[in-house]
Amino acid sequence: MLKKLIVTTALLLAVVAGTQAQENKKYKIGAAVYGVKNEFVQLWVKALKDHPAVKSGLVNLTVFDGQYKHITQANQFDSMITQKFDGAIYIPIDSNAAAAVVDKAVAAGLPVVGSNGPTNSDKLVSYVGSDDVLGGELAAEAVIKAMGGKGNIVVLEGPVGQTGAIQRSEGIDKVLARHPEIKVIERKTANWSRAEAMSLMQNWLTAHPNQIHGVIGENDEMALGAVAAMKQAGIDVTKIPVAGIDGVSDAIKAVSKGEMILSIRQDAKTQAQGALDVLLRKLIGQDYKPLSEVWAVYPEMPWGEGTATLYSVPWTLVTKENAAEFLKR
Amino acid sequence: MNESIYPPENQKSPYLLEAAGILKKFSGVTVLRDGALKLRAGTVHALCGGNGAGKSTFLSILMGLLPRDGGSILVGGRAVDFSSPAQALLGGIAIITQELSPIRGMTVAENIYLGREPMRMGFVIDYAALFAQAGELLRRLGFDINPRSNMCDLSLAKVQLVEIAKAISFNSSILIMDEPTSAIGEHETGVLFNAIATLKKEGVGIIYVSHRLSELFQVADDYTVFRDGAFIESGAMADIDRERLIELIVGRKVGRSLRPGRSGNFPVILKATDYSQSQHFQDVSLSLSAGEILGIYGLMGAGRSEFLNCLYGLTSPDRGELEIFGRPARIKKPKDAMKRGLSLLTEDRKDSGIIGCRPIRENISLSVLKRISRWGFIRAGEVDGERGVVNAMFKRFDIKAATPEMAVQRLSGGNQQKVVLSRCVTTKPKILLCDEPTRGIDEGTKQQIYGFLSEFVQDEGCGVIVVSSELDEILQVSDRILVFRRGRIAGEIKASEATHAMLTHMAS
Amino acid sequence: MNRSQYFSFRTLSRYGILIAFAVLCVTLSFLSPYFLTAGNLSNIALQISVNGILAIGMTFVILAAGIDLSVGSVLGMAGIVAASMVAGDTEHSPLVAVGAGVATGAVLGLVNGSIIAWCRVPAFVVTLGMLSAARGFTQIYNDGMPVPGLSDAFVFLGSGRLLEIPVPVWIFAALLLAAWLVLEYTRYGRYVYAVGGNEKSARTSGVPTRAVIASVYVICGACAGLASIIHTARSTTALVDAGAGYELDAIAAVVIGGTSLTGGVGGVFGSLIGVLIIGVINNGLDLLGVESYYQQVIKGAVIVLAVLIDVASRKET
Repeated sequence: MLKKLIVTTALLLAVVAGTQAQENKKYKIGAAVYGVKNEFVQLWVKALKDHPAVKSGLVNLTVFDGQYKHITQANQFDSMITQKFDGAIYIPIDSNAAAAVVDKAVAAGLPVVGSNGPTNSDKLVSYVGSDDVLGGELAAEAVIKAMGGKGNIVVLEGPVGQTGAIQRSEGIDKVLARHPEIKVIERKTANWSRAEAMSLMQNWLTAHPNQIHGVIGENDEMALGAVAAMKQAGIDVTKIPVAGIDGVSDAIKAVSKGEMILSIRQDAKTQAQGALDVLLRKLIGQDYKPLSEVWAVYPEMPWGEGTATLYSVPWTLVTKENAAEFLKR
Repeated sequence: MNESIYPPENQKSPYLLEAAGILKKFSGVTVLRDGALKLRAGTVHALCGGNGAGKSTFLSILMGLLPRDGGSILVGGRAVDFSSPAQALLGGIAIITQELSPIRGMTVAENIYLGREPMRMGFVIDYAALFAQAGELLRRLGFDINPRSNMCDLSLAKVQLVEIAKAISFNSSILIMDEPTSAIGEHETGVLFNAIATLKKEGVGIIYVSHRLSELFQVADDYTVFRDGAFIESGAMADIDRERLIELIVGRKVGRSLRPGRSGNFPVILKATDYSQSQHFQDVSLSLSAGEILGIYGLMGAGRSEFLNCLYGLTSPDRGELEIFGRPARIKKPKDAMKRGLSLLTEDRKDSGIIGCRPIRENISLSVLKRISRWGFIRAGEVDGERGVVNAMFKRFDIKAATPEMAVQRLSGGNQQKVVLSRCVTTKPKILLCDEPTRGIDEGTKQQIYGFLSEFVQDEGCGVIVVSSELDEILQVSDRILVFRRGRIAGEIKASEATHAMLTHMAS
Repeated sequence: MNRSQYFSFRTLSRYGILIAFAVLCVTLSFLSPYFLTAGNLSNIALQISVNGILAIGMTFVILAAGIDLSVGSVLGMAGIVAASMVAGDTEHSPLVAVGAGVATGAVLGLVNGSIIAWCRVPAFVVTLGMLSAARGFTQIYNDGMPVPGLSDAFVFLGSGRLLEIPVPVWIFAALLLAAWLVLEYTRYGRYVYAVGGNEKSARTSGVPTRAVIASVYVICGACAGLASIIHTARSTTALVDAGAGYELDAIAAVVIGGTSLTGGVGGVFGSLIGVLIIGVINNGLDLLGVESYYQQVIKGAVIVLAVLIDVASRKET
């Protein structure tokens, strides 16, 4: 009798301990972002830190700032491998160079989920981001429509050679091909920077007085720079359609004031928290149910089993009509 | 500002400064065991001593730079113990150092009164008063310098005079002058001595240190000699002569014979014709015979150093022909000169002679690295390598240093000069060009260097050209003397027939 | 001059920076359990190799009392040139790429050196100009596009291992040894120290000072070229902004290591310590998960501290 009691108690204790251990298991996750100096990444990081798994302590999160250098990100991944991280989320500065980093990480047993910026590798567990080609298309469509289908436009591009910029340009070009009456009189890179875009736009305004009828900025910062340049030149910006991509707060403000006609909002929260959920699904297994509230927002992007290799986060068009609502967020 | 300070009658003691039994040890080694000096008001007191005699240590203690381990110092009859130069200044002791560090971008007046400018309303500099005060000071001293000039526009000599004016402007009763004429020429030296006379009349006491003994005899009233860290003797300058003074400094009788007369025909080993370099020298022609020491005398700015540097290939002449050992020579750079058997000891060893931060060994071997290397790697050994060269030089020149690994900048001036000489000699030159070879060097080493030059020309086919602005030196060391004046040769005379007066006359 | 006093001063000044480094390592090993692991130490060695090679070249320049601000841009340009030899369809042997990279660096260094030595334009100005020009040229060379798709043989130079030690570490170690031998034991090395210690005195002694000055910039450029090979191989893509800002880390490493900016004093082993200190700080801050803004502040503070310890140990008593 005593022996039975002892064995049962021991088994019970073991089960309890087992479940306890399970509950107390913390996952060491690293988020390697290309640079924290821009607003979008800051939003993304904040959203990630607000994820219920991080707040509850299930996930021990470390954010690595790549300082816009690929080698720094590569070194950070080496560090994660050495410190035996459980998983990583990656926003790379260069999609091609990132492939080698992912290959090395996966080979060392560190699963990687991509987010926001693509990586040219099929070894990712999954990619949770927005379709930049589509983004470019939507921006171009809006401006051309507002111009009535004809006139001159200028395009402010992202850094030469960067995948995000290349894809957005691809989208813009697709739309341009459908509208032969639209002439692109200037097209140059402003490196995602508001200041550079402003200088560039000023020069363009001087070179083509009264001949610019529309502006497409491949990101919001550059679009805002163009708006500032036009204001300084005394041009009524409500008459010239300007569109940008990303949905940062300054752009939304500009849209609500009519200075920009459209900002295509990237959902930082969904990209960040979605990526973490997908990563946890990989680590914990099929019992894992996504903890973030973002899965309820987009019916076009279902959780499914949590094992899809691509989660395409929809863009949200922010126009004058709905700008106010986004300003609150 | 012109009143006499501490006139003798008002003092408790007849001496402005009385130091006795000064003791100083560094890490257990006694460098000064009996420093003593008594300075009377209104006099110039020469402090003499060779290398290692303890003069610098003694002065540093007086100035408040170093604490003393024993002994007493009385200023104006009161015991003092200064722990910083600022305190010493307040106590009435100012020093003019050998190292010049003017603030180039500022004017003369600003440099003189740096940190003590007359103020208006407490925070704005009163420039009118500043320039007036500076002008007044310079006038009183007899220095022909405009207080509004920028330091960077002044000649080295004038910069030295400004430094002197600055020290004097503190109106201290005691002034220490350490080699004040090392950078200035004859004319400015005269100006300085006049200023010293003025100061003496005002009751200031001056401790004067200089290796130029002739100056001491010109300007000093009393002397004190240190040797091996201790006080040896003191007395009135009037009661001593040059030979006795040197004997006290060096510690033994020093033979100072002039060069033996030369007769007979000696081959010409170097002949320069019509050497010219605009602004510096014109139409200089000279020849050097085997076995000869040719002295070149002249005032500062006469173009002597520029000429030597040009001969050696450091600069190029506008025109001129050169023949070495009878064959024409085209010298474009020092390496060419060295190949033809020349070697140059430059005027300013700190500027272009030594490589201060490197060890003695590297300085000595620098010119002959090719000879002692194989496949680009330097041979280190005794027999045919670096150590052999270095040891030979240590012996030949009696270089005093703990080890050849010491950085050259830590050596005394005399030893530094020996290191440079060593390097010059490693290339086995036949013709040695020496520019002010004993500047800033103690008496004992000076004599050693003179001895070396004599030995050098005893070798077959060797000669020396020496540039010097010290009359005694040029007379002692040369066979024949050329006098430069304003870039041209003003005259030539045999050393045995020359006198101070003649040379001074020819040079000015 | 007391003999024992002289020796102790000398050994202290040589070891001051080593002491600082040891203190840093001990502190980090307490703060993070991962610091002293084989994997992490290997990471550190790998991560310092690029800066290490740059620092070796920079040591030559600073010893000769010069400065080279262009090494970062030269690295970028040499990387693009080298990569285009082994990218896509034009696949040459990686040795061709190495040759092309080093040659590019050497040529740019020669341009720097010639202008500095013979036209007497200050090194700061000349190399600053090259910093801009080289970076600009890099952007023109391939229309600003990075060069991806490098051959595996080439990538091995950056990511491969020989006997468990990463290839870049082998390259760095070999170069370090060679540089030390040259500076310590050859006539040329002696000339570099002499020119840096006092150019006029060196010239009077018959040293070909202008040739020596030009040559150290060639060496520095060639090192930047070699560093670009490793950097590009590790990145598996030649990026247009590669090397931006690297000159500062290289100069910092050399200065921390005890080579004086005024020339004539120092050596490559000091630069090794400097490179290690910077590398260990970067690695340590990553291990501790410090936010990047704080990282910059801490890095600056530690570097100043390291130099202070060194300076204090040099002070004569």
